Amino acid sequence: MGSENKSQKKTNDKPSALGPFKAIKFLFKKPKTLRYPFEEKEPSPRLRGFHLNDWDKCTGCGNCDDICPSQAITMVEIPEIKAEPGKKNERPRIDYGRCCYCGLCVDVCPTGSLRLSKDYLHIHFDPKTFTSFAKDEKSDSEHFLPEEEYSIFKANLSHRKQNNDGFVSDLKYSLFEPERVKMPHVPLDERKLSFIEEVIGYSREEAQIEAGRCLECKLCEDACPAHMKISDYIKAIYEDDAERSLKKIFEDNPLPSICGRICMKHCEDACSLSIRGESVAIRWLKRYTADQVDDFQKALRQKSAESTGKKVAVIGAGPGGLSVAYFLTLKGHKVVVFDSLPGGGGMMRMGPPAYRLPITSIDKDVEYIASLDVEFRFNTTVGEDITFEDILEGYDATYLGIGATSSRSTKVKNFEKCMLGLDFLRENKIGEGVKVGKETIVIGGGNVAMDVARESLRLQHIQHPNEKTVTKTVSLENWNEMPATEEEIEDSKDEGIEFNPAWGPKEVVLDDKGDVKGLLCKKVKKVFDDQGRFSPEFYEEKTTLLEGDMIIEAIGQGPDFSFIPKQLMDKLEFTERRKVKVDEGGQTSISRVFAGGDIVNLNLDAVTAIADAKTAAEGIDKLLKKTKR
Amino acid sequence: MNKSLKKKLESDFDSSVEILEKNGWTITANKNQVLDILRFLKGEGFDYLALISCVDWIEKGEFELIYILSSYLADKEKMHLILKTRIPRKKPDFETTIHIFENAEPYERELHELFGVNFNGHPRLEPLFLDRNYKTPPFRKDFDTRKYVEETFGSIKSVEGKK
Amino acid sequence: MTERELEMYFGPQHMGMVGNFGITLTVKGDRILKAKANPGYLHRGFEKLMELRTWTQNSPLVCRVNVMEPHSMEMVYSMAVEKLAGIKVPMRAKYIRTLTLELSRLASHLFGCWAYANMLGFDTVAQWAMYHRDLILDLFEDFTGGRVYPIYIWPGGVRRDLPDGFKEKALNVLHEIRSKISDYDATFFNNKLFYDRAKGIGKISQEEAKNLGGTGQILRGNGVESDIRKIEPYAAYDKIDFEIPTREGGDAYSRVWIIRDEMIQSVHIAMKCLEQMPEGSVYNKVPNPFKWKIPKGETYVRVESSRGELGLYMVSNGGDKPYRVHFRTPSYPHGLTILEKILVGENIADVGNIMISLYVTPPEIDR
Repeated sequence: MGSENKSQKKTNDKPSALGPFKAIKFLFKKPKTLRYPFEEKEPSPRLRGFHLNDWDKCTGCGNCDDICPSQAITMVEIPEIKAEPGKKNERPRIDYGRCCYCGLCVDVCPTGSLRLSKDYLHIHFDPKTFTSFAKDEKSDSEHFLPEEEYSIFKANLSHRKQNNDGFVSDLKYSLFEPERVKMPHVPLDERKLSFIEEVIGYSREEAQIEAGRCLECKLCEDACPAHMKISDYIKAIYEDDAERSLKKIFEDNPLPSICGRICMKHCEDACSLSIRGESVAIRWLKRYTADQVDDFQKALRQKSAESTGKKVAVIGAGPGGLSVAYFLTLKGHKVVVFDSLPGGGGMMRMGPPAYRLPITSIDKDVEYIASLDVEFRFNTTVGEDITFEDILEGYDATYLGIGATSSRSTKVKNFEKCMLGLDFLRENKIGEGVKVGKETIVIGGGNVAMDVARESLRLQHIQHPNEKTVTKTVSLENWNEMPATEEEIEDSKDEGIEFNPAWGPKEVVLDDKGDVKGLLCKKVKKVFDDQGRFSPEFYEEKTTLLEGDMIIEAIGQGPDFSFIPKQLMDKLEFTERRKVKVDEGGQTSISRVFAGGDIVNLNLDAVTAIADAKTAAEGIDKLLKKTKR
Repeated sequence: MNKSLKKKLESDFDSSVEILEKNGWTITANKNQVLDILRFLKGEGFDYLALISCVDWIEKGEFELIYILSSYLADKEKMHLILKTRIPRKKPDFETTIHIFENAEPYERELHELFGVNFNGHPRLEPLFLDRNYKTPPFRKDFDTRKYVEETFGSIKSVEGKK
Repeated sequence: MTERELEMYFGPQHMGMVGNFGITLTVKGDRILKAKANPGYLHRGFEKLMELRTWTQNSPLVCRVNVMEPHSMEMVYSMAVEKLAGIKVPMRAKYIRTLTLELSRLASHLFGCWAYANMLGFDTVAQWAMYHRDLILDLFEDFTGGRVYPIYIWPGGVRRDLPDGFKEKALNVLHEIRSKISDYDATFFNNKLFYDRAKGIGKISQEEAKNLGGTGQILRGNGVESDIRKIEPYAAYDKIDFEIPTREGGDAYSRVWIIRDEMIQSVHIAMKCLEQMPEGSVYNKVPNPFKWKIPKGETYVRVESSRGELGLYMVSNGGDKPYRVHFRTPSYPHGLTILEKILVGENIADVGNIMISLYVTPPEIDR
């Protein structure tokens, strides 16, 4: 390879026998030998030696175990550590007979707790000591010694230096991507003028890139109340197989279009990437799958089991009721769902505004469940159109998915002139519509109050264009105590809603004609008592008048048990937090009556209702298989 | 110049030439014509055999033999040609290329030992690296390394105990 | 007295052997009649091991194939993966890669000087070469984190940026080595004893070298100017001016003198890299290591290592692990065919001399 025989510069061979004597000059110079161990050379700041791990930051995700090319790391359960959402009770143990000191485990660690130190000496007679847990001076001060007590003659995995970090993790060069693909939103000026859905959704390329960020550590699956198979369905999206992704979602959750828009995302809070970056957008990826597949029936091809001849009644077509219907019909039971609204979804249908959860998305999920032979009887109110005793008589089991649908009121003077929050939302979304004033006051600091305020703002732009309008909120809680999610508070502030935190309602002030003029508020001293229970105290003399011509109360909601007759209501047991008591199969203290959702759990969101429904479905199935009727 | 070479390869011999990149060609040929193509290419100036390799396509039941050629001449030294051919896996027999390229000898010995390919006419097909007898040649895809270790050395206790 | 034919094992444990490699010699008196190479003492089965690990997990494995010069192995693996997957490397990373490869070539040549000088009995020069190599290994520890196995060049760029104050340190070391070449010349390269022991030994003609697939110093020692850094430039070699030293003769003397000339060129290229290095990022992130799949394809890439042409043939089946990996190492034809040809007719005392001047590394032969 190359040109032939091209001789370069002429070679000057000058071999001489006396030249080597020049080397004698080195006899008088200082030798360069390092007299180890009496002289030591400082290792470089980036040396890759033994491991260090901060047990407070470590989440036990196991990514280091998965990537080690020598299979040197094992995750071992530590009973003293308590597992919680986002943290497992496992820690890595490293076998130094196998470790090749490559540092890939450091580059893949999402929290940055695993590092390599500058220690590299281990001399011991017992080979079992070559396997050790990675710790550091925070959790193990006995083996990590300060400079004065350390001696190189005793260097060991149990005799190491403090503050000796070597190769550490750096987000610019890590093996994972800390930044999320941005979700496109409708621009702010456009979206506050109408009820258009403000989240546009991922395209196919964006979804694949976002799904490619998942490291499959499965901390999210432990945190999800329904324990969905999250890393599997994200992998299917990465491999561009939306149908397989949908199948994986439907194993635990039959409402992907709904949950993909309004879920409280416990999974994203537990995601290991959220510690030093942004979590994987699990909720938006679920939304992508639900929107990408047009025909659920063709994609899923689910068939019910052989008919068992048993009938189950479900009261309430909310997330809990719909899920229990889905799980039971697949097991072969005949399910009838009763609901007073004209369509399915329950609280989802009348609560969240159309710019967060449009009716078409709800109907897509409900229609699929209806296609599995579930009978829906809408516009049927239990207690009026059909009695509770008839239901108990006519069906083998009953599920109460009634939710918390009646709004509470502050009951201050002239409270009859105010509108209740849930009534406002329902009338606006699926009813006749509501006329708003030019200055609306919303009482409350939770998510429902934010929904009410943002809907009121949009209605004001639509009904009073070109006029000066304002929506205000007033809440007992101060900024850091407000129960609404941060996203909602930020979006409300961006859209121009005025907040008045730490004021309580005292009296509704009317003008001469008897219309609302404003709300007299009193300053809050504190909201929660020492045990954290809700018990507000006020400075009764410090008052202020907030002006407004319409007041809406959105301070909370509770369940409506009015359809249950008194003798059964006495038999129904409650816990000390005033929730319905159920056993591990979901059955209440009334036989053949099961319950789940907002009346049972403390999370008060859709996905926990779905998880309760799955438990109750298995309990109902077990009961029906035992009884012969 | 390159175009005429490509045309000649496709027309005279029963082969298909694919250009992977500017200076890297892939020539897929029938196994009966490989020696003729190698002689022809050596005559054209590609006199440097870089590598003889083998790929085990177990699902198709075939071995694929790879010859990578390049040149010492100034106008052709940038190019490298990958010549591929397929032989059946159950009976992997082939001809030796030692009389065309003298340095093919150790490559063919290695493939015989690690894959089990027979090269007819090779003067010295004895083991090169390995010192035991293996029932299945070890680089084939159906040789399970973990199983082999457990069967051969499983009776020796490991120091750290079971994982 | 009649001379008998004896079979002698110039075995794996021998003063004159670099690494574990055996040669079976058939000798008559002091002359060698036939030589047979016995590789296999260092066979670790890398090519099979690499089929069981993902693309990212293979980076720590690749550098262990050739112990003397791990950087060129990492370079050739990264080049193959980048070609198959279509990944681009930033410009600063290309300059850092060039710097790393030249420092590695310098360290490998110093190691070669140590081996050759030790073999012939020049212990002083051997210790000097080891000391200078140690200075370069200290530099490697500074910016890569590992002295011998750096695991630094990987697909997408390099693993970390150069630390602060590195440029001054590196220039100091390079100046030191460059200034000591005159001492090496006086003591070793221009030494009459070395001339007598190496001139005319292990001679191979250009025809024979080309027939047997020789590359690197074997060709350049015969006057052929061939270097892959000029034929198919990779990294930043097309932006830096350097010369390719050649010599006439084709024997051990010219091959070892080429090593000395290449050391001077390496110092020159490394200094130019440090001067001309642009700013920017050094790593383009590759996909998630647990999910990265590379489309179907095959490729052959090559690099000029200190011993000759190092190539890698890689096949991907569309999965997350390589389907077939085959290293074309330069010591393979040098140590197995050329060695057996050259040794015929030489003295037993010159076997180690010839073997080290051919610059054969046994780990590369066995993989």
